[in-house]
Amino acid sequence: MTFFEDQLKEGVFQICYCKNCNDTIWPPKEICHKCHNRTDWKKSTNLGKIMEFSKRESTYFGLIEIDDGIRVLGDILSSSIPEIGQSVRMSVSFNSKPHYSFLVENN
Amino acid sequence: MNKVAIVGTGQTKFSKDEGDVEKLLFESASNCIQSVNNYDSNDIDGVLVSTNNNSKYLGAILSETLGIRPKISHSIEHLCSSGTNAIISAYAYISSGLSDMVLVSGVESATNPGQVLEWDRSRGNLEHPIYWGSMLTKSHKRKFQTTEEELAIVSAKNHKHAMDNPFAYSNEPRTISEVMNSKQITDDLRILDCSRSCSGSSSILLASEEKAKIFSDQPIEITGIGQKTTSASFTKNILGEIESTRIAADLAYKMAKIEAKQIDVAEVHDAFSVCELMAISELGLTSNEKSGEFVRDLFNTENRMINPRGGLIGAGHPLGATGISQTIEITNQLQGKSDKRQISNAKIGLIHNMSAAGTSSSIMVLKN
Repeated sequence: MTFFEDQLKEGVFQICYCKNCNDTIWPPKEICHKCHNRTDWKKSTNLGKIMEFSKRESTYFGLIEIDDGIRVLGDILSSSIPEIGQSVRMSVSFNSKPHYSFLVENN
Repeated sequence: MNKVAIVGTGQTKFSKDEGDVEKLLFESASNCIQSVNNYDSNDIDGVLVSTNNNSKYLGAILSETLGIRPKISHSIEHLCSSGTNAIISAYAYISSGLSDMVLVSGVESATNPGQVLEWDRSRGNLEHPIYWGSMLTKSHKRKFQTTEEELAIVSAKNHKHAMDNPFAYSNEPRTISEVMNSKQITDDLRILDCSRSCSGSSSILLASEEKAKIFSDQPIEITGIGQKTTSASFTKNILGEIESTRIAADLAYKMAKIEAKQIDVAEVHDAFSVCELMAISELGLTSNEKSGEFVRDLFNTENRMINPRGGLIGAGHPLGATGISQTIEITNQLQGKSDKRQISNAKIGLIHNMSAAGTSSSIMVLKN
């Protein structure tokens, strides 16, 4: 398991970045694709915005933008129809693959 | 650079059942070889196999099975656009002079590992293509006021075209209302809006211009090629766009010295209904806002200009074979051999094949 996956398992979404280039590296890599120095890690704020959404059976899912323009697909937990641009809070886990889910704030 | 032409084609029927990859490969390659004049196995000096199957050394296995001892043989994998990538590689071998005649065979079994890109961690546990398909569809509806009916017309049209394609996995007609009332996979995708993974194989023989006339009375020249990869992660796409298709189309048109309006017939990559609307817009045949109306007009006037063999939705999608079958359809159209599917007086045709939510696209222009 990679550091990123290991941290997801602990419930932490780590953002990979390069101190040198001040660039976010997504998906995470040990080496920066520009300067080829070792990359560093910082914890996500776990805050994001809904870019697009749909629904499968009774569960909403969507494309969410979190810190530094990183976008991921995940479940959206909302009691009402989500809206584009709505603020969400992320929680993560890992069980053979990442799982991202998003709770609509002030839900 | 040598000019390159298509001189032979062969296919198997596509099927929802599991298929034996080696048997299917041999069947389509054998059909292809039988379609050319003056065949001599010593003339083939390249054998390329496009597939997502995990079998090893298929280029050499196919060569031995056919009694060919080529200079060049290997496999090519690029998810859903493996087929056109293999043809373009063969083109490069021939145009550079490394090869004179190349057999390109694509194959897939219905359950294959190419349907999910595990590497893409940004998809989380929502790995299946239905999730990005839903995002693209919802976004198209939101941005361009595309209606459920317009999306259903893409599928009804392509199923209708597939009825006249003997290699399609299904020849069942589907009306607009059947599509609209088909099972909802998500709020934005119905089952009949989705292409289906199939088993099947298709093969094509390419030769240098100098040799082409020996093997075919109607060689079809590849006059334009454009390719672009923008990323591997779906989530880096700009929703509502397929940037890789737009860039690849521009490159292909420049190489072929044509404009979009000169295209008489096109096979486009309708992985989901919305993909056809997006593709014809990025190819410059219409705009996103008018794409639904464009397809409705084709359907109402029985104009088969887009996806005459039924596209991926109508014919089925054996990933490694799809791009080759698309190319065979355009070749047959330009040769006037498409029977009931024939577009009258087709002179310039286009193939659009893409992978992983349009993160990469391959486009070819053919001319008779």
